[in-house]
This record gives sequence, C-alpha cells and structure tokens, in this order.
Amino acid sequence: MQASVMRVVPVSRRDFLAECALGAAAVSVLDDESVAAAPSRPLPGLPHSPPRARRVIYLFQSGGPSQVDTFDYKPQLLSRFGEELPDGVRQGQRLTGMTSGQASFPVAPSIFRFRKNPHCGTWVSDLLPHTRRIAHELCLTNSMYTEAINHAPGITFRLTGAQQTGRPSLGAWVTYGLGNSSNNLPSFVVMVSRGTGKPDGQGVFSNLWGAGFLPSKYQGVRFRSSGDPVQYLSNPPGIDDALRRTMLDDLTALNRQLDLAGDGRTTMRMAQYEMAYRMQTSVPELTDLSGEPEHVFHAYGPDSRVRGTFAANCLLARRLVERGVRFVQLLHRGWDQHEMLPRAISGQCRDVDQPTAALIADLKQRGLLDDTLVVWGGEFGRTVFCQNKLTHDNYGRDHHPRCFTGWMAGGGVKPGIVYGETDDYSYNIVRDPIHVHDWNATLLYLLGIDHTRLTFKYQGRHHRLTDVEGRVVHELLT
Amino acid sequence: MSVHKRVECCCGWKWPTLLVIWSGFWAPLLLADEPSGLRVDFLRQIRPIMADRCFRCHGPDAGERQADLRLDTDDTLFDERRDGGSVIARGNADESLLFQRISATSDDERMPPPDIGPALSSFEQDLIYRWIEQGAEFASHWSFDPPCASAFPDVRNRVWPRNGIDYFVLAELEKRGLAPTPEADRATMIRRVTLDLTGLPPAPADVDAFLADSSHDAWERLVDRLLASPRYGERMAVEWLDAARYADTSGYQLDTERSMWPWRDWVIRAFNRNLSFDRFTIEQLAGDLLPNAMLDQRIATGFNRNHRINSEGGSIPEEFLVENIVDRVDTTATVWLGLTMTCARCHDHKYDPVTQREFYEFYAFFHNVPEKGTGARYGNSDPVITFPTADQRARQQELARQLAVVEQEVAEQEESTAGFVAAREKMAVLRKRAEKLAADIPSTMVMQELDSPRETFLLVRGLYDRPAERVSAGVPRCLPPMDPDLPRNRLGLAQWLVNPRNPLTARVTVNRYWQMYFGTGLVRTSEDFGSQGDLPSHKRLLDWLASRFVRQSWDVKVMQKLIVSSATYRQQSRSSPRHLELDPENRLLGRAPRFRLPAESIRDQALFLGGLLVESLGGPSVRPYQPAGLWAELTAKPETESDDVYVQGSGADLYRRSLYTFWKRSIPPPGMEVFDAPSRETCTVRRSQTSTSLQALTLLNDVTYVEAARGLAQRVLTESGHSEVERIRFAIGAATARLPDRRNEMLLLGALQRYRSRFRGDPMAAKALLLVGESPRDESIDVVDHAAWTLLASVILNLDATVMKD
Repeated sequence: MQASVMRVVPVSRRDFLAECALGAAAVSVLDDESVAAAPSRPLPGLPHSPPRARRVIYLFQSGGPSQVDTFDYKPQLLSRFGEELPDGVRQGQRLTGMTSGQASFPVAPSIFRFRKNPHCGTWVSDLLPHTRRIAHELCLTNSMYTEAINHAPGITFRLTGAQQTGRPSLGAWVTYGLGNSSNNLPSFVVMVSRGTGKPDGQGVFSNLWGAGFLPSKYQGVRFRSSGDPVQYLSNPPGIDDALRRTMLDDLTALNRQLDLAGDGRTTMRMAQYEMAYRMQTSVPELTDLSGEPEHVFHAYGPDSRVRGTFAANCLLARRLVERGVRFVQLLHRGWDQHEMLPRAISGQCRDVDQPTAALIADLKQRGLLDDTLVVWGGEFGRTVFCQNKLTHDNYGRDHHPRCFTGWMAGGGVKPGIVYGETDDYSYNIVRDPIHVHDWNATLLYLLGIDHTRLTFKYQGRHHRLTDVEGRVVHELLT
Repeated sequence: MSVHKRVECCCGWKWPTLLVIWSGFWAPLLLADEPSGLRVDFLRQIRPIMADRCFRCHGPDAGERQADLRLDTDDTLFDERRDGGSVIARGNADESLLFQRISATSDDERMPPPDIGPALSSFEQDLIYRWIEQGAEFASHWSFDPPCASAFPDVRNRVWPRNGIDYFVLAELEKRGLAPTPEADRATMIRRVTLDLTGLPPAPADVDAFLADSSHDAWERLVDRLLASPRYGERMAVEWLDAARYADTSGYQLDTERSMWPWRDWVIRAFNRNLSFDRFTIEQLAGDLLPNAMLDQRIATGFNRNHRINSEGGSIPEEFLVENIVDRVDTTATVWLGLTMTCARCHDHKYDPVTQREFYEFYAFFHNVPEKGTGARYGNSDPVITFPTADQRARQQELARQLAVVEQEVAEQEESTAGFVAAREKMAVLRKRAEKLAADIPSTMVMQELDSPRETFLLVRGLYDRPAERVSAGVPRCLPPMDPDLPRNRLGLAQWLVNPRNPLTARVTVNRYWQMYFGTGLVRTSEDFGSQGDLPSHKRLLDWLASRFVRQSWDVKVMQKLIVSSATYRQQSRSSPRHLELDPENRLLGRAPRFRLPAESIRDQALFLGGLLVESLGGPSVRPYQPAGLWAELTAKPETESDDVYVQGSGADLYRRSLYTFWKRSIPPPGMEVFDAPSRETCTVRRSQTSTSLQALTLLNDVTYVEAARGLAQRVLTESGHSEVERIRFAIGAATARLPDRRNEMLLLGALQRYRSRFRGDPMAAKALLLVGESPRDESIDVVDHAAWTLLASVILNLDATVMKD
C-alpha cells in the first residue's frame, strides 16, 4: 500500500495517468480521498453474490402517485361512490393534518377505465396506455408500504432508508460498494424534472442524492436542465480546449515541481483534473442528442427533444447506462394531487407514460434490459377517500403510506407478474406486503449486494441502507 | 399488519465490509513493536473488539441482553456461571467460557453467532487469549474517567520541545524509534498559522516582515497579532456553524428563509472578544435563564433553535416537536460530550452506558420551550426576539403616532365622504410602511422557558404518540451527578457541562481545536468519545490539554496559542519514507499535516489574492455568484415565491467572506458543497476530505475563481515590479508565501509566453475572458497582457501549493 503511494512521480503524461489510477486506489484506503469520477474498484468482498443487474435506472415519482387511479384496480368501488369509508377499513389510523379535520371520508372511485395487458393480464388504467403495452415486462407490486406520511420524510425514507436526513442515498451506497465502472463519467448521475400535473409541486433537495456520512465523493452528480449540464463544466469565455489542455499541462508540471510532501495527494489531485478534462468532452457528447435518429425521438415522444423533461431524461438515462454509468436517478415531481386529481394526474401521466415505455423497449432492443434494473414509484400512495369536495368528475386524494404501487423491470426480476394485494378499498394490504426496506434489500440483492453486509461505521454504529430490517423479496426474482 | 412511523434509530450491528476496525492505524505499529508476549493493553486492544463484536447482546442495553451476561462492566465478567465454568478465569484462557465460545468451531457454540457476525479473526482471538493469560486486567471506558494531568514524560531529545504538547508527542515518537521532522521554513510557518487562525493567507508585506524579524519573540508576536484580528472570529466561527447546524433556511420540504444571522454574528463576536468557553457554553444553552439576561445573551440561545423546522402542509405538530427536541439532544450531546446519545432514543444504548430513560431525562431539559413543533411557513418560528435599531425604534414610534391620528380621523368621519376616503388611504399607506419597517427589523429565534413546565415521558421506540412513564430532567448516571443546588433546567445543565469534574466537555472541545489544526483529532472520531469511538492517539496529551484548558479558565485564545506555539505544530509537512511507511496517517504527529483548505478558505483566499475580498463583519447573509437556475430547477414555485429563486447579489455582496454566504439547506452553496462542507441539516463536527473532478471544474471555471484570477493578474500588473520575473515572484509569493525556484520560474515564464502569444493571435478571446465577473477592470492595462496573466493566475490558484495548507 505505502509503496504505491510513494512511488516516484513518472515523467510523461501517459505514465502519469496510469500512475494516478493505482495511486488513487491505494490512497483511498488510507484516507477518504479518492477519484470520484474515475474507475474505482468495488469494496473487498463485493459483489457478495453474482449480480443479476449491473446498473440501475431509478424513475422516482415524487409527490405520491395515486395507485387507485393507475395500477391498483378496484372495479367494485364504482358502486360505492360517495359512501363513507367504513371505520373497519380505516381503523383509526393517523391522517395528515390536511384531512384529519374532515367530517366525512367519502369513497372516490377512480374515474379512469382500467384494461388488461393482453400478454400478462396486468391491469393498468387508461392514464398509462404505453405502460400497459409493456406491462408484460414489468414486475409490479401493489403492496408496497412506508412509514412516513409527509413528503420530505417520505421521499427521504424511500431514497435513503431513513426519514431523518443525513443518511447516504441509495445511489451513494451502491457507488460506495461497487465503485465506478466508467472512466470519464461519474458513477451516480441524477436528473430532476418538473411535472405538468402540479407544476409548483414540492421541491426536491440535494440530500436525496447525497452521500450522508459516507465520504462526499459518493454523492450523485446532478445533470442540470439549464446551463452547463454539470456545474462549471464549460471553460470560461476566451479559453478553448487547446488552451485548457496547455494550462493543465503547465499545472501538472508546476505541481510536480512543488510537490515536496511526496504523500501522493498531488498525484491524486492531478488525476481529478484529468478526469475533469475528460468530462468536458464526455458530458457534452453524452447530452448532445442530435445524433439520435428520428425514430428514437418518435418513440420517447415529443418532449424528448425538450431539455429537462422527463422524456429527455429517460433518453439520457439510456445513453448514460450505455456508457457504463452504474446508477441513474431520475426524480419527476408533481404527483401530489390533493385536489382536481383527474385533470392533474392526466398531465402527470402523460409526462411519464410514453418515455417510460420507450425506455424499457429501447433497453430491451439494445440488449441492455437483461442486466439493467429499471425501478418506478413514489414515496407513498393516496387515499381512496376524497379530500375536499367529491363530485362525479372531480376529487382529490390525501397522502396514504399504507399501500402503494411500484414496479421493477429488467435484470433479474420476473416480468409480467403482479405481486401483493390490497383490500377492496386499496387501503390496507391483505397479501404480501413489501416495506421500503424490503424493496431496497431486493434492489441491492439484484446488484449482488447483501444488504446486511454493506455497512459503514459512523457515530459508533455500523449503518446500512436497510437499518436493521429488510427482506429480499425472492418471489419477485427470476 | 401494522404500518406506522417507526423511528430510524434502531442501532443495528453488523459486521463491516472492511475488516479494519480498531486496527486501521495501530496495526502496523503494533505489529512492528509488540510481538506476542508483550503485555496486551485492555483499553486499546481488547475493549474495542468487545465493544464492536459483543456489546450488542452483552452490553449496556438491558432489553437486548442475552444470557444475562454483560461484558462492558466487570460486574459479572469473572462470575462463575450457573451452568459451570467462569466467563473469564483469570490467567487461564482455556478454562474461560469467553475464549471457548469465541474460538469454537461449531456454529451452535461460536460467538458471535453466525447470524450476528463472522467469527473473530485469529489475530483477535490470540489477543484475547493473551489478555486472559496475563490476568485479564479490566478497566472501564477511558473517557468517563476524569482527565488526569500527568507529569511530562521523559524524552531523550530535550532540545526539541517548546511546550508541554511536545513532550507527549515526542515520547510516543521515541518509543517507536522515530524523530520529529525539522521545523518548517519561516514562510511556510507564517502561511500555515495565518490560514489556521484567520482563514486567509498572509499578505506579502506580513511575510516579508516576519522573515526579516529575527527577534526571539517574533513568532509569539505574530500569533498574538493574528489572534487579535477580527478575522480570527470569522475563522473560528466556521467550525461552530457546522456543529450548530446553522443555516439561513428552515429545511424540510419548503425550506424557506429564516433569520438566524444575529446568532451567527454573536458567535463571531464571542470568539473575537475571547469569551471563555464556559461562558460561551452557558450563554448559548441558557443565556435566557441568566439573571437579568441581556439581549446578547438571549440571542446566543439561538444555538438550539438552529435545527430544521418543518412547515409542510398537513404535518403533525406533536411529531415534529419531538424531532426538534431530539435534534437538540443530539447536537448538545455531540458537541459537548462527544456522545451518540440519540442511539438511546428507541432503546438503551447498545454500546455506551446511556439508558433510554436517561435519554428522555436529558431530553426534558429541552422540552420546555413555547413552540408548536411545526413552524411558520415563512420566516422565524416562535419564540423569536426582535431588536430594532434606535433609528428603527424612533421610526416605529413615529409611525404608530401617525397611525393613531389617522385611525381617529377614520373613526370620526362619515363614511364615503371625501375626507373619509382620504384618511382611509392614508391609513393604508401608513400600515404598509409599518409592515415594511417591521420586516426590516432584525429578528432571531431564541430559547425561552415555559412558565409551567411540560411533562416529559419516555417514548416507546421513540414514537411521539407512544408515551410511557413520566421522567424529569437529569443527566446520565455514567457521568458525575449535577450539584444538588443547580436548577434542573438548561442553566443547570450548562453549568454541569462546564463543571471541571465533567470528564468529557474539555476533552471533546480541545480535541476539536486540535482537529482544526492537524486535520484529525487526537481522538479521530471527534463526534464519538464512547466505546465505539476511536481511542485517543495520545491520551495523556489530550488529558493534559483538557486539564489545562479548565485550569486556565477555559480561555480559548490561550489554548489556540498553546497549540500553534508547539514544536509539533511547527514541523515540516514533508517527511521521511520511514515516517510515511510506519505512520501513513500521521497519527503520531511526527510531521506537520498537509491537507486541502476548508471550503470557506479556498474561496476567501482566492478573493483575497484577487484583491476582491470585502471585509465587513456580520449582517444578513449575502448571495454571491452561483450558476443561474440552480434553485429554480429544484424548488417548488420559482415563478412566484422569492424563497424559491436565487436572486444573486451585486457589488460587495459578491465578495464577502464565505461564512456570510446564504445557506439554503436543501441546496447548499455549490462552491461550498463541492469542497466537503456539510449540508447543515444536522450537527456535524468533522468534515470529510475528498478530492473530486467537480472540485477541479469549480476552481478552473467558476466565475468566482476566474474573476479572482483576473484580479490577481491586475494586482501583478499594477502593484509589482516591471520585469516578468519580479511579477512571477509577486504572484507565487502572494499565493504560497514562498518564492519560486529557478526551474519554476522558467516553467511559469514559458507558460506566460504561451498564453500571451495565444491571446495576441486572438484578442477577442482575451477580451471575452476579461469580461468574466462583475468587478471593473483597470482599462489602462493591455488586454492581451491582462488575459495572459489571468490564465497564469488561474493556474496559480489551482496549484497544490495554493489550495493545500502545508
């Protein structure tokens, strides 16, 4: 270990770069400096089991999509329109402050028609026709549940395994465990889009892709929807690529002269500059969609030409995994339909439906779906009872942590199944519940990680993504 | 099936993936100098293994305890078991059940059981074997015993030590056959100490003066001058703002603006007037409870209002009241006691002697504030104090007087007469003015005590809606009790914390100071002095410093001076291969540390070098450059809410020191976040030190640094001599406090020529580059020259020698 840290700094730039890869790996064990966006190896002992998926595209739907109106089909509710939700169903469970004062909890059946995917029989509502067409690729569950009832704790719980902030995000854990397989892109990329269902929907916050108590190099790199895709990626005006290259060479030469400590840090810092330089080429190449053929835009839908949309981000997600990026996290906002749900959710579903289906088909066609895991879902579901006034064509729904829908597709999961079941009111789970920790344990398992063994010691405790819980839901796996 | 909020703190224990627990640093040293047969050190070698591998089921948590066996105390450790045999038979490992079980090969027998963790390594087993054979000497956890101020150890090299610190450091080095590294050159030393004490580099004139000062007390006078500089308070405040989770927004979903900068300014002033650490403690935890509390002392209590406050629609106030208080407990316990007390929120602590009941007794101190739990959607949440300036007060009174007159008029006039309408209009204008004035009056959140105390209950599994038995305010029993005459409130708690008999407060505090200078504390886990934390690398030194700190009346500046006056601090950072090999992490302190400057200093230094820094102490936070649209992409309503869109400041606001940068928790300032500043969501007492490509992009391309490079270039071209070599020496000297050698001069000259010829061929590019940043440019400088120098200055700002503290 020490030997490679102290190795004499080589002369040519090529040798120098080769040196960096070794030096960085060696030193990363010593202190938590390392190459964030350059190739790095998995932790010793990882993967724990043969991975079924090598990369993840996580399509997070922020705000709490209504399972009642999309995937959890309850035809019998139509005849109970406006009836009071039976106490036996609600069981006095807590509500948010937005509906706890309501005098009445009338049942609001979905006004959207459900139909079956002809191959697998999975029910999907007319809000998501494209998704229905590829439902035979999905491993769907209507029996997810969580513990939080408000957005910030709920999203934080789903994406970091704890309601309180400060824990590493899922992508950070995966990067920490498995390292980076790309030599010119970050391992963990995040993209955020704003939904049309609720344009002023809740904000999202950087700790959702943060490193928590892990070294900060594991945090997700957000690709922005305006300006430089990666902050400060572009050279300032007046400095072109050739001049930047000259500057970096001068910087390297000077640093080498001034590096008196001989502790390897200078070598590592210079490796970062080289990585930054490579990203200046690789990121614009990645985000430039002009080379994509017409039929691709057609498949992903018209939004895919508009930077920052969910559709464009889906297309970018495919380009990222093609280039070896391990964890791509999308966050699509605007699913929080407390009122005027039918109108708002239609727009929201239109945002995501076609591009999501296109992404699955695209990955499949390119042979990437076999070892890419695609994940879809939000922080909680929504109540079957109406928030605010119920009419035949309008209603709203409050937050509902007790059941909601999520799906996975691709590497290692059973396609075309529906797992778990809720009661007639889509209120309580009656069969095969999946807790957020179970979901995360399963996700890690698919990547070859035993969720009980990926730990990090902080404040005296060996933390893990799934706290002290989590069960790998083998029933979902091939 | 029950679905319910379950608080996250269940302290699960699993085997870490990296099998480097206690041995991270010590292994090479121990292996090198402690062949088997040497005496095993219980606290250093055995207890960490037990804490990590056994305490989960055989530790302080009575609820989880298996087989009625406890290994963290010696109560039952040497007992004969009912089923025969002793847990530990002193001097006979083979007869000891403990050794039998850890070395058992069958899964049924082996401890820890396979579902809890893998077997102990043969090295660990061997240590335990030898420890038992040697008599199984037991000791309780070190940090709960009071610091013992021991005499200076004997050292062979009696010339090297400059003060007490050095005896302890040298003794450890000599034990391992190492010598300290020679003293750094004077230029390196002045840069180091100036950055450490003020967060800014020395001005070239200061360097020259120090180099020329051959008097015996030159160093001492330098240190005194730096400690007296107002920059000192700004520098010291940075660590404290992290610890206090200070921010300008309230966090959670809405994350709207709040006003806590009066508290931040209190901290800076407290450091600058050298408020002793015991007063610093008492005023922040309980300033409001002091007799005749002054405004300033009430502002200080904002420390425990800096936590996040949730105002998301539909949030349940009782739930977030608990979260607020838990945050106060977590922060207070981490900052003063180095204890991870929050682990006992849901159950007894797994590793440290803190019961769940004791957690809620501690919690009771902070449970008595007139607050709702959830907060105001915008601005500060009660309790709040406002403090108008004299002028504002006068204007307020004048407005009130005018309003009274107009209101009278309105009341007296007949409705819908012209006079009535006019009076009404005037009243509306005055009211608007009063509102606007009220909004301009500084306010800050404070602690306050309810007249009739709230009852506190132990919360089952930490859940807000599961109260169990009632508890009253108290401190953990593993620590000395509170004096009976102390009030059982925050004031009593604060006084207990700074009681000289408290074994933790002084140690934890001086350790954080140490960490500031050396990058790593004497206890590396500065947030955890409990049994899962690291042992101190130099326990006697830590104890000596802690005792001295208390004896010298908690004088903060005296403590800083002591540390920077040591020979240990004054060493070179460059060291011999032997040092690097034996002590790669420099835990033995046989050389000076070398690490990247903290985020704030990186930016402040660049502004300083560029001649852009605007120094004025305190005030509302400012909004310097950040990429356009950064907030708008993530926030809820960028079209309508001012809280959701970043309105960049101008003029001086762009160039203030970084601790005045507006800190939005959900989207921290990107230039700070990228250099490892924490998000300020919760208490942080130790930052990570990483090196990433995003840092490189920031230093090369962020307008802040491009503009600073242009400013440095302008200074070079207007302030230094006329020859290129003089200019290069000026620039390198300003950035690194050192002069370039001949080879570097050649490299720099070559680079400058390349840039110049490049811009000569493309003057438009030169012009474009010089337009970056809002500060005006000295138009008398030749464009090509200025642009070429700007590039060279940019290279200099990116040098290791500039961004690292040597």
